[in-house]
Amino acid sequence: MQIKVEDKSGIKVCYAEGDIDINSSPQVKKAFDKIIQTKSGKVLINLEKVGYIDSSGLATLVEILKNVKGFGGKLKLCNLSSKVRSLFEITKLEKLFDIKDTETDAIGTF
Amino acid sequence: MAEKEVIIELKDVHKTFGSRNVLRGVSLQVYKGETLVIMGGSGCGKSTVLRHMVGSIRPDSGSVFMKGHNLSELNEDGLDKLRKKFGILFQSGALLDSLNVKENVSMPLREHTKLDENIINIMVKMKLELVGLRGFEDLMPAQLSGGMKKRVGLARAIVMDPEIIFYDEPTAGLDPIVAGVIDKLIIDLRTKLQITSVVVTHDMNSVFRIADRIAMLHEGKILQVGTKAEFRNTPDPMAKQFVNGEPEGPINFFMSSDDYLEELTK
Repeated sequence: MQIKVEDKSGIKVCYAEGDIDINSSPQVKKAFDKIIQTKSGKVLINLEKVGYIDSSGLATLVEILKNVKGFGGKLKLCNLSSKVRSLFEITKLEKLFDIKDTETDAIGTF
Repeated sequence: MAEKEVIIELKDVHKTFGSRNVLRGVSLQVYKGETLVIMGGSGCGKSTVLRHMVGSIRPDSGSVFMKGHNLSELNEDGLDKLRKKFGILFQSGALLDSLNVKENVSMPLREHTKLDENIINIMVKMKLELVGLRGFEDLMPAQLSGGMKKRVGLARAIVMDPEIIFYDEPTAGLDPIVAGVIDKLIIDLRTKLQITSVVVTHDMNSVFRIADRIAMLHEGKILQVGTKAEFRNTPDPMAKQFVNGEPEGPINFFMSSDDYLEELTK
């Protein structure tokens, strides 16, 4: 699992690559703890290169969302594959997250 | 069309308990991503087949393969690794009475992972929501109905996101609505997450809702394997009797009355 962060118009755009599962979730949590420490008000996670997210990964994203919201920030997700999107649907999390189809869509709505 | 991937295979499995030949040469394949229902009358060997598939008992002869591993050749460590890939819903729910709902559901996560407490709590809530029991985290098993216990057991079975789930009579003793909820969950897990399910049941409503394929066991042997449509139109008199729930037919519920009279006067 790799996470690269780029600053685009004041938005921290985080590119995740690999599966977010029980093995990699703690690493994802740690990486985002660092990003959250910077108190960036706008965080976008691009999941284009994430093939699978298990429940621990979804729970980790919920925890990240809680932390970002905790200091009044906004978190959005974009570029979910149909498989990843269905994981959000089955767990009803698609209503919790602000999910956009593309990065451009997401950046335009912060 | 791509060839189906076999994820579990029983090859000519025989098992005897005491003087009873419970399985008499069972060969069966489970394909990745399908829901296979094993049905048959009480005592026909359905649960014994399931117990072989999960490696809790070993065959007297024949072999059981899961994901290419011969279960009889695996040591405990090897079996433990494989066990993390599947979940089991036991007939009774099999909850630990001394632990509350949250502790029961989170037990596999605490045993097998090093996830943060916050993450575990969110996962437990997500799984309880799936089985319609969010908000019941702090209740003890003694405070739950049979159906609720079963749903907690299901939440625990899926908490590690298994590739395969084994269900032993998942809808037995449940009211029709809860049974429908459990069936929908089994269907959702297959269609949305491509989870393989092996379901032992004789609830025919459930069978025709969830099955991709059905294997019917009778007296320790596979009588027929086929789709729902094949079973609805089966020419096999035994399968037909079972599907239609007919008391009279080639499957004898009672032993012959001669035996009964003989038994009484022994």
